[in-house]
Amino acid sequence: MARLRFEDDFLKKLEYLHVISKRAFAGQNRADRLARKRGRGLEFADHRQYAPGDDFRHIDWKAYQRLNRLLLRLFDEEQDLPIYLFIDASRSMSEPAKFDQARRIAAALCYIGLAHLDRVTILTFGGTLGDETMPGRGKGRIFRVFEQLERLEPGGTTNLRETFKQFASRSRQQGLAVVISDFLDPQGFESGLKILASMGHDVFVVHIASQADRMPGSLGEVRFVDTETGELRDVEVTPALARAYGEMWETHAAELELFCGRYNLGYVRADAERSFEQIILHTFRKGRFLA
Amino acid sequence: MSFGAMAAWQAVLLIAGAAAAAAWIFLIKIKPPRVRVPSLLFWRRVLDQKRDETWWERIRRAVSLAATILIAVVLAMAVTRPGPRAATSSRGRMLIVLDSSWSMLAATNRGDTRWDRAVREARALAASAGGDDVALATTVDGIVEGPTSDLALIETALDRLAPSGGAPAPWPRVGGADVVHFLTDGAHARPLDPSVVVHSVYEAAPNVAITAFDARPVPAGGAAAAEAYLEIANYSERPQQARVTITRGTAVAFDQPVALAAGELVRQVAPLAATGGPRLMARISAPADALAIDNEAVAWIQGAEPLTVVVVSEKPSAVAQLLKRDPAVRVLEIPPASYQSGKEDVVVFDRWVPPAAPPRPALVIAPTPSPWIGRVSGDEKNPRWTESSVHPVLAGVDPLTLDIKRAYAYDGSGQTAVAKSERGTPLVSIVDQPDRRAVVLGFSVADSNLAFAPAFPVIVGNALEWLARPTFDTAGQSGPVMLPASVTRVVAQDGDVVPLLRAGNRIAVSLRKPGLYRVEAGGARGVVAVNVGDPEVSNLGRTTLTAGARSVVPAGLGSGQPWWIYGVIAAFVLVAAEWWTWQRRITV
Repeated sequence: MARLRFEDDFLKKLEYLHVISKRAFAGQNRADRLARKRGRGLEFADHRQYAPGDDFRHIDWKAYQRLNRLLLRLFDEEQDLPIYLFIDASRSMSEPAKFDQARRIAAALCYIGLAHLDRVTILTFGGTLGDETMPGRGKGRIFRVFEQLERLEPGGTTNLRETFKQFASRSRQQGLAVVISDFLDPQGFESGLKILASMGHDVFVVHIASQADRMPGSLGEVRFVDTETGELRDVEVTPALARAYGEMWETHAAELELFCGRYNLGYVRADAERSFEQIILHTFRKGRFLA
Repeated sequence: MSFGAMAAWQAVLLIAGAAAAAAWIFLIKIKPPRVRVPSLLFWRRVLDQKRDETWWERIRRAVSLAATILIAVVLAMAVTRPGPRAATSSRGRMLIVLDSSWSMLAATNRGDTRWDRAVREARALAASAGGDDVALATTVDGIVEGPTSDLALIETALDRLAPSGGAPAPWPRVGGADVVHFLTDGAHARPLDPSVVVHSVYEAAPNVAITAFDARPVPAGGAAAAEAYLEIANYSERPQQARVTITRGTAVAFDQPVALAAGELVRQVAPLAATGGPRLMARISAPADALAIDNEAVAWIQGAEPLTVVVVSEKPSAVAQLLKRDPAVRVLEIPPASYQSGKEDVVVFDRWVPPAAPPRPALVIAPTPSPWIGRVSGDEKNPRWTESSVHPVLAGVDPLTLDIKRAYAYDGSGQTAVAKSERGTPLVSIVDQPDRRAVVLGFSVADSNLAFAPAFPVIVGNALEWLARPTFDTAGQSGPVMLPASVTRVVAQDGDVVPLLRAGNRIAVSLRKPGLYRVEAGGARGVVAVNVGDPEVSNLGRTTLTAGARSVVPAGLGSGQPWWIYGVIAAFVLVAAEWWTWQRRITV
């Protein structure tokens, strides 16, 4: 199991990044992210008519002098952002390169969230929703996250629909939902992601893929073993068959990206062979997920 | 087609079996390697999807199976050693006779030699035997292999054989041989049975050769101590500028260019100085020269090296006094008490002999009784020398000048009397045995007038020459040589010991390679020179073959190679192609 420690330089770079949400969500605690509700922030937002019971301290006396009306000054509330990190821990992710990539991305996003006092929740899933961890607030908690991710073991079969149905069964504050998975769900990824989006979350999809997923090459006569189900299948992988498989996978990836675009979900493809730093510092920023 | 390694039915069985085994191995289900994939989701979709197979995809399994069977068949055929069945082949035995005279080493225009062509033709003939027995023979050695149906033995023998010159052996015969093939260049005329199929490897070629070379000491009084006789010939249709060099030991004794007209034979006598070693070598070089082996010749100058003689006597010996006057002899006179066998050429025992026979040749004069000389079995006063054999020791000895007062007879073994008295008392005896070589005088110098007779230096000189420098009656050409039974060892110039074959009271040896051979007999050492020098061998522009002989046509690329080599090559090419295409999943 690869260690998930990051170098200090890289962590400093991460601290300059913010997780971008397309929408503003209500938070629970004060933080440095603009929330939907008006409150006790420092940044002036608007005026409104004074109503009995309002705090006298917020009456704009200069406006009263000019307009002879009691107007109340309103300020933007800066609160934390709920971030839900879904990590696919099904057996299809058991290829070390893929799983390490997924955990590193999760750890990096978690660190960014913690550094900006966001409320990060890490959720693992296989066939069903697995462990749910809330490390707390502040970047000092990241080491607990590292330890938890290092302990993570792949298991179960991918079932996005069941996973997100379970997630929806509990009342949760709306926020940013990041799904890190290979999306190799025999039932299809669409219904699960639709459930997640319909809950009002800002959904961001991180598609993990490895070379073995994309183009296994001409293997000749082999007996494939499905990592998730254990199913065996004798296949003679000719160049033509390998090409057909590669085309099929690309179609699947394109369909996933198209689906995300249609439902206004963020999409980033993170191939396991690509540099993790490059994915975080460039691809995610390019995909307008980090800024 | 014939199969050299086995009968046709065996070959067919082997090939069919190999093909069946290859097909079975190809078709049996081998458990494929397991490959873990994250999900079979897309593989299932791809496999379930109806996909139009290409023409090649449909037949490639069949192509792979065909290639596998073909590889097995080709390898099996290589094992059977297939070959073309010659028109002359029959159901009986085949005898292949190779002419192994030196002329077969002549180079041809294609760069190979007549021998190479003959060997190639012999291989082809053997391969065409179709499993029948084949025997291999040469003109010098007779049958060298077979009769056998195992072509590997014949090919191994062909690899081993080389021209060896020498006198031809009796024509080889093999019982039941239906066809006899004779591969020759026709250098030597041979009476052949009409049924013998003659294959000619003859091709006219220019040659310059030493056809005779010898050396001899010049009798006293001449300007030189020795002279070399050299005969060189130009067997080509054009004049040639040759260069002749004679070396004596390491020094060049003669070196000059010689202009040779077409077909000219030049005889040259070169004087040699008194000093220098006994070993002579002549070399000739010329621009157009197809045969190298006759460009060198060797000779040995008898008497060029001084003899070392030890005289063992209690009293001053007349023999020692005589020998001290000869510059060609180094004499050491010692008393019997100081005698130890050394490296002397001859030891002279005057009125005394050691108890054991000396390892070196010995001249024994009026010996005392000893185990190896024997006891005195009788004596005779005033014997008359009346009976002499023809022997080198007695050459030029006039017995009438000798007046012997008393002679003794000895009963030792191995002594042969070459001079006897009227009453049969041995006066001069010789011992010529492998472990002993001696001349025994049955009378002393003191008991005769030998010291003052003209025969004295003659008989002593003859005895020393015979003892120290044995000569052997050889023709000087390579081949079998008969030597005396006393010969114990024959060593070639390169140190190889030549095997001795005892034939009655003679020793037969085969001196094949040209050069000098050291012959050891009874502690003495002689030298025999063997040269190629023979106009029949060196004249490469002539042949005794008639027009009826089949000419061995120099074949094109690769011919002469047995077919199985091509079979193995084809199998390797197919395996490589199959491997390459399999690696790229073109074939299965």
